[in-house]
Amino acid sequence: MNIFWHEFKSGLRSLLIWSAVMGLFIWISVLKMAGYVNNPEMMEVLKSIPRAAAAAFGLGAFDLTTLEGFFGVMFVYFALMGAIAAAMWGSGVLSREESGKTADFLLALPVSRSRVLTAKTLAALANCILFTMVTGLTSAIAVQSYHPDAAFYRLLALEMGAMLLIELIFLALGLLLASLLRPAWRAASVAIGWILASYFAFAASNMSEDLEFLKYLTPFKYFDAAVFMREGRLDGVYVLVSLLIALACIAGAYVAYPRRDIYV
Amino acid sequence: MSIIEVEGLTKYYGRTRGIEDVSFRVEEGEIFGFIGPNGAGKTTTIRLLLALIYPTRGSARIFGRDVFRHGPEIRQEIGYLPGEVFYYGRMKVIDLLKYAASFYNRDCTRRMFELAEYMELDLNRRIDELSYGNRKKVGIVQGLMHSPRVVFLDEPTIGLDPLMQRRFFDLIREENARGMTVFFSSHILSEVQRLCHRVAIIREGHIVEIADMETLIRNNYKKVRVVARDIDPSYFDIPGVTHLERINHAVHFFYRGDINAVLRRLSALNVTDVTIEEPTLEEIFMHYYERSGS
Repeated sequence: MNIFWHEFKSGLRSLLIWSAVMGLFIWISVLKMAGYVNNPEMMEVLKSIPRAAAAAFGLGAFDLTTLEGFFGVMFVYFALMGAIAAAMWGSGVLSREESGKTADFLLALPVSRSRVLTAKTLAALANCILFTMVTGLTSAIAVQSYHPDAAFYRLLALEMGAMLLIELIFLALGLLLASLLRPAWRAASVAIGWILASYFAFAASNMSEDLEFLKYLTPFKYFDAAVFMREGRLDGVYVLVSLLIALACIAGAYVAYPRRDIYV
Repeated sequence: MSIIEVEGLTKYYGRTRGIEDVSFRVEEGEIFGFIGPNGAGKTTTIRLLLALIYPTRGSARIFGRDVFRHGPEIRQEIGYLPGEVFYYGRMKVIDLLKYAASFYNRDCTRRMFELAEYMELDLNRRIDELSYGNRKKVGIVQGLMHSPRVVFLDEPTIGLDPLMQRRFFDLIREENARGMTVFFSSHILSEVQRLCHRVAIIREGHIVEIADMETLIRNNYKKVRVVARDIDPSYFDIPGVTHLERINHAVHFFYRGDINAVLRRLSALNVTDVTIEEPTLEEIFMHYYERSGS
């Protein structure tokens, strides 16, 4: 527990910054929303946007004049921010010991590498869970003036569940990369590169049916707000796939990190 | 059973040599010097013993247990003072020490305060406000506060002012007298000479000599200086003589072997002056360094 609390405190500043950015994003979005929701004129404007362009911006399947539709569009930004934050926490929690040259201190103490990894993984996971809760709560509070109904809360809950699963995938990927790569700090940039590639693959698969095969490569497509909004639930297969990917990455980290040569 | 047993330990960093086929034993209660120039493999050896890195070949045991398999249990009884000390900059010294103490299965609090007072360390400063020497003091307190059975000191005096160096050496001697085994790595020969019972000399990743400090200095080598008129250095070119050179009217050389051989040569000369003395460790060390280099 000592390592967990130490790591949690070390990561708190980053969590606060990400939460502030997310809060600001939600606040600005909800301000903008006033121009869309329950506005028939806007409906006409939106209809005139070419289909491919709308798809590229993730607007295709949503009716922006409803609260649910608007939050459907916002989901991909929640997911993207969650993914980047999680990848940075996952890789950073390991790599900062080496870049800060404190690895010799920590790992020369009477503690096994796997215990260090467990504590650090849990601390990064706690950050992901809190970040998701902040996102969900801020959203719920921000839309109170629109008198959201049960359907909205259900959608928000699905979005937060999906966001957490995407965070899990990239948290685990960050941990694995930081266990494998040398120097470890490169893990963050590699993981973020991966996220952006996934996101563009997702956007491309929405734009053209020829590119639809890309959907299997991108976790963003596993949880497409357009789909889970219609279905009313997350696709069980993809929930399983996400958990398996995360578990495989974390298992890989448990193999690699204890055998890693630590250089400072 | 020796407290540290190292057998054929070899570490390559990719293709670069770290250490090659290093073997030695350290007995409980001794102060073991580990000496060599920078880059010889001293730190590599210590970091292997702490299982921070893994060997290409070979084995290492402390307290009779494999350091790579039983690292956490072994490290309960080990202290480590790295050459360069790095801690979490935003923490206060006291919090850092308490964090480190929380890993040990005993209460280190009393000893922590004693050591901090002895080393004149201000516990309420933030780590990143500390000077290099003060960070080193944190390292000393951290490395000794759990009263380890074995301590690894890697270039311990770098950054400490002379007064603190002396205090530190006194502290190490005191702990040693209470039974603590000391593994002392350094490239500064005089401090090894002052402190250590036995010494291993490492060069380019290989151990070139392991000997008692006394044997190394007294029995092995004599430093001879002869002043005589019209002396030819080759006159002393007999087995056991090395580093033969002429400086003005004097001939200097090192000799290892039966000193009578030199005395017989000397008695045939009409010498003006002669000195035969024990070389410093520095000179012995240079000898190893150059011999293996040629």
